[in-house]
Amino acid sequence: MFTRDMTFTDVERLDRIAAEAIETFVMDEETFRAFYDRTARSVWSYLARITGDRSLADDLLQESYYRFLRAERRFDSESHRRNYLFRIATNLAHDRRRRGRHAISVPVPAENEPGALIDGSDLAADTERRTDLARAMATLKPREREMLWLAYAQGSSHEEIAESLGVRKASIKILLFRARRRLAAALGGAAAFARSRA
Amino acid sequence: MKTLIECPRESDVLDALSSQRWPHRVEGELVDHVAGCEICKDVLVVAAAMRQDRDTAWQEASLPSSGQVWWRAEMRVRQEAIREASRPITVAYSVAALAAFLVIAAAAWLAWPAAHELLTAAASVKLPESLASPLTLPLLVALGAILVVAPVALYLVLSDE
Repeated sequence: MFTRDMTFTDVERLDRIAAEAIETFVMDEETFRAFYDRTARSVWSYLARITGDRSLADDLLQESYYRFLRAERRFDSESHRRNYLFRIATNLAHDRRRRGRHAISVPVPAENEPGALIDGSDLAADTERRTDLARAMATLKPREREMLWLAYAQGSSHEEIAESLGVRKASIKILLFRARRRLAAALGGAAAFARSRA
Repeated sequence: MKTLIECPRESDVLDALSSQRWPHRVEGELVDHVAGCEICKDVLVVAAAMRQDRDTAWQEASLPSSGQVWWRAEMRVRQEAIREASRPITVAYSVAALAAFLVIAAAAWLAWPAAHELLTAAASVKLPESLASPLTLPLLVALGAILVVAPVALYLVLSDE
């Protein structure tokens, strides 16, 4: 490989430019680390469930935080910052889907996964329930999966969902209603309700 | 008839779920309402399934530490900034290579009459006299230089660092 010699001045100049680029991050290291610790699990779970692929979720998590750090904007509040992060994650997942690298899959939990060990009393039922949800989620449109996850797994408000997905707030109610109805039907509707009362 | 898309009691259902009161420690009236309300029933089924799945996902997540993520981001922005800043240097090298090539080409062009003479002389088998010409040596040097420098110049122009 052909490499060019650089003078000390070149090296100093490039070092200075790199240091200046790091200063453009939206937050300093301490603030970022605290923010990451508060949000990373939610972002990873969201990515894993909307893409159905854990290793892809690992990649997209890193990329989401990188793009967040490089965002040229200021945030009014923690909620605004968090919604923006979810928006980046959502867009990255859409990009991957569009590029066709990844088709949504139905992740069937293995019994030896760490998650399968949370409730040692009923592994089989837990695995079955998760598989049912994964299959039901796979029948939904990407936007529906995202919306339902934000609303019911994360407890986001309609306003937060609108900001995270880049959808008009006025549309959320009806879109959420339709998505919820489809998922409930896919989960077995009345039978699932009866189970929930057991 | 207009389809109802929300129920005022959805939030009660979600509260009962998140506080783990559903189904045994919740008012019987709410249970009866949910049994008769399609919207609340869907909310309950979907929210219960998703919350359980969220708890599982939280346990499954094997995340890099915040320090690692910060460090990787720092390395990446540094590399990008350096690549960006190095671009003018690459352009300068390319221009220099092109200039060298043009100078050599100009020298070859200036030497062309002598080359032509040489070739004519060679054709008429006057080789010893032609080789004695004072321009023969610069001509050969220029042609040789083109052969050596042109690939290097092309490499400089087309290579990505």
